[in-house]
Amino acid sequence: MSSLATLHIETRLARLTLNRPEACNALSLDLLAALHERLGQLEANRDVQVVVITGAGTAFCAGMDLKQVLGDPGAPERLLRLLAEFTIRLRALPAVVVGAVNGAAIGGGCGIACVCDLTVTHSDSKMGFPEVDLGICPAVVAPWLVRKIGAGRARQVLLSGGLITGQRAFELGIVTDVVPSAGELDARVSALIERLLTGGPDAVRATKNLLNELDGSSDPASVLKGADLSAAVIALPETQKLLRDKLGL
Amino acid sequence: MISTRLEGDGDSAIGLVTLARPDKRNALTPEMLTALRHAVNDLAPAVGAIVLEGERSGDRNVFCAGFDLSLCQGNDGDSVLEAMLVGLSAAVRTLRSAEVPIVAAAAGAAVAGGCALLGGCDIVVTDSQSKIGYPVVKLGISPAVSAATLRTLIGEGRARERLLDPAVITGAEAGRIGLAHEVMASSAEVAPRAAAIARELAAKPRAGIVATKSWLNQLDGSIDARWADRTLAASLSLVGGIEQHRLLPQAWSR
Repeated sequence: MSSLATLHIETRLARLTLNRPEACNALSLDLLAALHERLGQLEANRDVQVVVITGAGTAFCAGMDLKQVLGDPGAPERLLRLLAEFTIRLRALPAVVVGAVNGAAIGGGCGIACVCDLTVTHSDSKMGFPEVDLGICPAVVAPWLVRKIGAGRARQVLLSGGLITGQRAFELGIVTDVVPSAGELDARVSALIERLLTGGPDAVRATKNLLNELDGSSDPASVLKGADLSAAVIALPETQKLLRDKLGL
Repeated sequence: MISTRLEGDGDSAIGLVTLARPDKRNALTPEMLTALRHAVNDLAPAVGAIVLEGERSGDRNVFCAGFDLSLCQGNDGDSVLEAMLVGLSAAVRTLRSAEVPIVAAAAGAAVAGGCALLGGCDIVVTDSQSKIGYPVVKLGISPAVSAATLRTLIGEGRARERLLDPAVITGAEAGRIGLAHEVMASSAEVAPRAAAIARELAAKPRAGIVATKSWLNQLDGSIDARWADRTLAASLSLVGGIEQHRLLPQAWSR
């Protein structure tokens, strides 16, 4: 199995790590395929109550690997579909998913942070959705952000683009907890895991399931439609030219 | 009563649409609401973002005091009120469906129909001391017409509070509940900040911004005609009723 995503299961706790530190864990086709494989393992496991997602190295996830989407006309659609399906499967896991945002969580990476049930970061982490700055439409992450922080604030965040600090992400509700420095993240996440594991597994599963139903998370249609929409914008000749100029390719 | 101007050129130009009736604190008339729609529709294809602002009223910065209810005094008063409600609903829909983002410069006061216009905008800037809210139930008018956009903006619970409680809140509180996105310390800073945000948005590649706004409209249902029609109908159902005829004259004695 690919080492681009690693999974360690200790009875009731699983740790899923994006393991492409040399590229700030940017979402390549291979990394997403590896994440899907790991989700398959988690879906088959009935004992895990808490899944912690984090990034190897200093970043959480730098977003889509944009270099891969240039040159290969079919690549954007495949990449966005894989990302969309990953977010849908992640939200559907019966275990509580905790995002430990150890560093940069940008674009699709910030989207994954939104899909986690609970997310902790530190006040200086770089987060946000700069898609519109590159002429891209953040359509896959939009449904998740709307569910997380409401449509009014999501509108400001997605249209404004740019990056925000972990502290600001906490104020907006994108993350649920923030620690003052990166060094304090592990302790806060461990305390959270400990609390979560005190819950009755059936009660927690039933509650998460209901919440998924109430906020529309269990309906994959909008996220999948978002993948098509985002791919269509990337395929525009003007966007292709912009990406080439901005990425220096 | 509506003035427009273009700032900058090419793809990064912005449009400024001004509610310009300063002697009436920019209170809305049916004609103004129609002109507002035309202004937005005319500007949108030529600019990257639009600012909606109010002209300075005397020595005060004011966005909009709501409907000009003095127009509802004559024999045709009910039909004027009806025209304003229909016009307001259409204006909010036009703002929301415009292809480029709309930034509201809600300085000083955005009350009743003025507050409803904020619901159609994508980013709202106000000042901490501004007056914001829907005091219209006191006059026998239902602010239901605002419900479709307000609930997507601030959530169900808070929308319920704002539409049922005639209290007017400060800009600072509006920022806290998400009715405003940025809150400036003074009303003089609002319009410059709104224009700066519009310029930032206009500087971004157009296709991504247009697709993103349109997708958000689909996701939050804010351009769903069924909701807009239903909320307008709820407000219209009271027009000409005994209660409105009893309560509305209070507005004229101020």
